[in-house]
Amino acid sequence: MAKWGMVIDLAKCTGCQACSTACQMENNRLPGENYQDVLYYAERKQPAPTLKWFPRPCMHCEEPSCMHVCPTKATFKTEDGVVLIDWNKCIGCKYCMIACPYGVRFYTDEKPLIEPNIKDVFKGSGDLSWNPPYKGPQQDNAHGVGIQPHGVVSKCTFCYHKVSKAPKGTADLSNDNAALREYVPACVRTCAPTARYFGDLDNPNSQVNRLISERRGVRLLEHTGNKPQVYYLGGAGAVPGFNRPDNKS
Amino acid sequence: MSNTSQAVACPECISRISTLRLAVGGFGLLVGIVAVLGLLTGGHETFNTSSQLTWGLPVSTYVFFVLTSTGLTFVASLAMVFGMKDFYPIAKRCVWGAVVTLVIGFISLGLEIGNPLRMLWVIPTNMAVSSPMWWMGLFYTTYLALLVWKFLTINKGDWDSPQSTAIGIASFVAVVFAHATLGSVFGMMAMRPFWYGPMVPVYFLITAFLSGLAFIMLFINLDYGVNQENMSPGAARAMSRQLPLIFAIVLGLVIVFTLAKTITGLWSNVPENRIVTQHIVASPLFWFELLPGMLLPFVLMLTKMRHDAKVQVVSGGLVIVALFIGRYEYVVGGQLIPVFKGAWFDDLTPYSPSMTEIGVVVLAISVGILLYAFGDKKLNLSDAPNQ
Repeated sequence: MAKWGMVIDLAKCTGCQACSTACQMENNRLPGENYQDVLYYAERKQPAPTLKWFPRPCMHCEEPSCMHVCPTKATFKTEDGVVLIDWNKCIGCKYCMIACPYGVRFYTDEKPLIEPNIKDVFKGSGDLSWNPPYKGPQQDNAHGVGIQPHGVVSKCTFCYHKVSKAPKGTADLSNDNAALREYVPACVRTCAPTARYFGDLDNPNSQVNRLISERRGVRLLEHTGNKPQVYYLGGAGAVPGFNRPDNKS
Repeated sequence: MSNTSQAVACPECISRISTLRLAVGGFGLLVGIVAVLGLLTGGHETFNTSSQLTWGLPVSTYVFFVLTSTGLTFVASLAMVFGMKDFYPIAKRCVWGAVVTLVIGFISLGLEIGNPLRMLWVIPTNMAVSSPMWWMGLFYTTYLALLVWKFLTINKGDWDSPQSTAIGIASFVAVVFAHATLGSVFGMMAMRPFWYGPMVPVYFLITAFLSGLAFIMLFINLDYGVNQENMSPGAARAMSRQLPLIFAIVLGLVIVFTLAKTITGLWSNVPENRIVTQHIVASPLFWFELLPGMLLPFVLMLTKMRHDAKVQVVSGGLVIVALFIGRYEYVVGGQLIPVFKGAWFDDLTPYSPSMTEIGVVVLAISVGILLYAFGDKKLNLSDAPNQ
């Protein structure tokens, strides 16, 4: 069984947000609840502050704190290493959102980031919190895929509706292989500068493993012990450190 | 000591205050229902919480009241577990108060979470033993069941049969575990340095005890028309002599704890701790909590005025407000710097409770006031064993 992981090359990432947009289209996300986002920040070295950016999906950790704290086992890890939420079990206590060090979980019923509230325009019924005219993946509440019901937490699924259908033994899912393109996560598939790689971390011959080893891939907030399955390339200067700069304005 | 009869010097005082409580509770309930109507129509979008600041006023209210329940059980246990017989005259009131405050906490939490009814079957059927919250649920549910059982037992006049004592001890043990697991819900979060630490269950334990004592100082005096001459001799003795001293000692410890926490926070080299503590200290709420909320009652308790019912009412009330502010600061403070984004994000997450959130709290407290008044009218809360 594969252990899916992602590598993001910060030297190639242009911060264009195509990944975020593709994810929104694929998973019907609304502003403020993007499974995948690019964070912008300024490094305040006066007199010339630099604008930087940082792409951030769910890290699909090896030891996910969100899963360990869930009082109902609604958050679980699949055999192929993907962290998912069973919406049928989620009670909406939001403890997982408290425990995730990366801030990549979202509660369904929050104030909309922009008005008008799109959910009011396309009102949902029954199990659907809203009902957009276009719905991407097939609804799968047991894996947290599709339109979320009211009162639950949702998160990036590594496009589980795609990657779970990839042929067994696949080492890498990339656009280079036309036969596998349908199984590539939306953010990877759409990345114009090909800054994203997706593959099997347990396969020593996979491209993701080669990149991690040759270019010294790093993981975020290692001190929390979560052991992300998303690695970043680009040198120490490109990956934000743990300490918050003491530059509060 | 199994049959009970304890004369209440002023039954009409109790009747008057419980009628007043019924009126206040009824009015509060109406206000709460109107405010919570938004929750029925607009769902949790009517809350001001967000994915950055997930737990707000209803959760801090839950923490405040379930820990108050813990404190009330501690005080009841002084008589029923540790054999300090002077506390028997207020023990039944404490047990009922513990039930009521636990119910207030559960209502506040129940209206905050997304699918409260689903809890009933998914929690027991999935046995998520790695979750501190699962253990917290287990121990608080066990505690509630034991507390109600204990109340029913003493309500039948059985104060100290082996079975009654065993239930008392079991409920004391259950609540010690319950508060510790609640402490772990926060204290185990290494990714939130403001909360993280092994001392959180100890901090919760001591503030819970203070919370219970403050409720007794306020409510039992109010029950008897703020005049200890209206109490039975045993209750008056407990209220004027031992309780103020215990209150002063525990309050002194909490002041030391609060100062230590604040000072270490201000001088911490962990940004999430220092920046949040600086933010809290800059708020007038903190200074109210520390000075009139805790220091003033502490000074009053060091003088002979501590025996006076009016001083006890004022001190108890001030400490309750101070502890409520402290819970709010603690729960919200741990989330003010958004996780991860906080590594370079300059602003703290803005949050102030919405009207619906305040309505949830008003509703829960009003139900509590009504339940307490019901207890006073129907359950003879002034009862105590013959000694």
